[in-house]
Amino acid sequence: MDAGLNLALWILRLAFLALLWLALALMARALLRDVRAATRDPAAMLGRLVVTASGGQPVMGSVFALDAVTTLGRDLGSSVVVDDPYASANHAVLTFRGRSWYVEDLGSTNGTFVNGAPVGGLTALGYGDEIQVGEVRLRLERGRG
Amino acid sequence: MTGVDAGRGAPVLPAFPRPRARPRELGLLAGVGVALAVGSLSLGLYRTGRLELADPAGLALYAAGLLVAHLVLVLAGRRVDEILLPAAAFLGGVGLLLMQRLPQDLVVQEVGPWTLGLGGLQLLWLGVALLVATTVAVGLRSDRWLRLYKYTWAAAGLVLLALTFVFGSEVNGSRLTIEIGPVSGQPSELLKVILVVFFAAYLAENRVLLADARVRLLGPISVPPLPYLAPIAAMLALALGIVVIQRDLGAALLFYAVFLGLLFLATGRLIDVILGLLLFAVGFAALAALFPHVQDRIAVWLDPWADPLGSGYQLVQALHAFARGGLVGTGLGAGLPEVAGRLPIPAVHTDFPLAAIGEELGMVGVVAVLAAYLVIVERGLRIAASSRDDFRALLAAGLALVVGLQAAIIAGGNLKLIPLTGITLPFVSYGGSSLLANALVVGILLALSDRGPAPLRPPRPPRLGRLRRRGEASR
Repeated sequence: MDAGLNLALWILRLAFLALLWLALALMARALLRDVRAATRDPAAMLGRLVVTASGGQPVMGSVFALDAVTTLGRDLGSSVVVDDPYASANHAVLTFRGRSWYVEDLGSTNGTFVNGAPVGGLTALGYGDEIQVGEVRLRLERGRG
Repeated sequence: MTGVDAGRGAPVLPAFPRPRARPRELGLLAGVGVALAVGSLSLGLYRTGRLELADPAGLALYAAGLLVAHLVLVLAGRRVDEILLPAAAFLGGVGLLLMQRLPQDLVVQEVGPWTLGLGGLQLLWLGVALLVATTVAVGLRSDRWLRLYKYTWAAAGLVLLALTFVFGSEVNGSRLTIEIGPVSGQPSELLKVILVVFFAAYLAENRVLLADARVRLLGPISVPPLPYLAPIAAMLALALGIVVIQRDLGAALLFYAVFLGLLFLATGRLIDVILGLLLFAVGFAALAALFPHVQDRIAVWLDPWADPLGSGYQLVQALHAFARGGLVGTGLGAGLPEVAGRLPIPAVHTDFPLAAIGEELGMVGVVAVLAAYLVIVERGLRIAASSRDDFRALLAAGLALVVGLQAAIIAGGNLKLIPLTGITLPFVSYGGSSLLANALVVGILLALSDRGPAPLRPPRPPRLGRLRRRGEASR
């Protein structure tokens, strides 16, 4: 009986440890799947612009994926066409330079604003900042999400 | 009650969120539950010689609590992380088993009509922690009030700390606990969450400046513009000053490490971390020269056997416990022999739970617990990587770091890898404030991982067969 009890104890002890590791392995598998899905994600990109306020085009709530150099303006050749009466044809340009995003005004008539402050020269941007071109406001967000 | 009003043209937004199944979370929680049940069986078998659960009611209540938390998240219908809760439940469950196994009279408190021992109290706090975590996860919709009131938060944290200093009661020679009526708590646990919120908000606001407007110090070595670091440095100095005077060295180490980690994440410059570590070395040397209790800690760390019955007692006993445990441990209930009617390690339930795990579950068990912390840290960093702006990213990463670093500091202390400092093992240690603060961390992380309600399913494409038939009929 004593030997049987001992054997049962051993089995339970080892089963407990094995099950703890099984639970962890299941979590690890879920993590791995998540990582793989994220690398396959076509939405993986440098950043994106979300329109937070707009009078006409682009429509509020629309999202633009950003290239390393992204131009904004009324010109149809712009990466993000801002069809706003107060926007210039070539209004502003966003550039990604190694570490972070920068915005530069291209000599527009009404100026470009970051969080309400006018942009003079090359200005660094943080994710979450709001850029205003004409009456359209766009928020810079991290890509993927 | 819910869903799209299909009868009238435009879809009506659901007034009540549509529930969304979380199969992955349910599966992982079930796995954790089964493992804990087997652990409880092994404890029961050792104690009574019969195949029964050690504390069936306690375990059932814990499982029920987890299930309720899961159901609340399902009903909330948001796309929230599904791995964080099971990982925390894993650690909480191992802690609960440990508290049920330890002598119940280590801590006894009367709660209403019941007199609860160690296991019962831990279960109660775990329940409250689950409540806090799910409430925050579901209720924290906007990060605005965390971000905007950062100085208010910082001030509140400091006031809390100062209150402990003035009104706190002394336990083991340091004033860490504050008592309000029957409830006592350790504010430094809560302060770690507040500090991370403040650091994240401040660094996110000034990240671009700190990273790019560098000031040359010496040749290629550059530092962030120091005036912009001043508020955060002042906050850090105040917090460190108070906890050092309170002799809460573990908290001081944790705060500083989290600060360095977040600074590195914000600026991406290794040189900041190196300079920070140099500053730390200087500060630590100064502290050791000024305060005798810091010297004592270091002496005990270097050679606990110099005074094995006095200052080195707990550490020597902990090392013996790890040695007795070996690879797979002695089994739950079979370790920790009592010396003269008391436990070899007096603070086993707060500062040394890892030693108890090491003795009864062995190295395999200790590594499993440490791996669970890795899972939580990975989740936090992943949430940070996919969050939409700097504040949310820094907040998620900082919260993950706080849990991971705290586990690393106390585990290293228990194993005599670094000087021992009295902080808790997150989710495992006994104690309300520790569990609540870590529940807050999990809750905020869950809220940050929120990707909104599930998008409505696109309308089913019309069946081709029917279309063709209609076309033929109209012709």
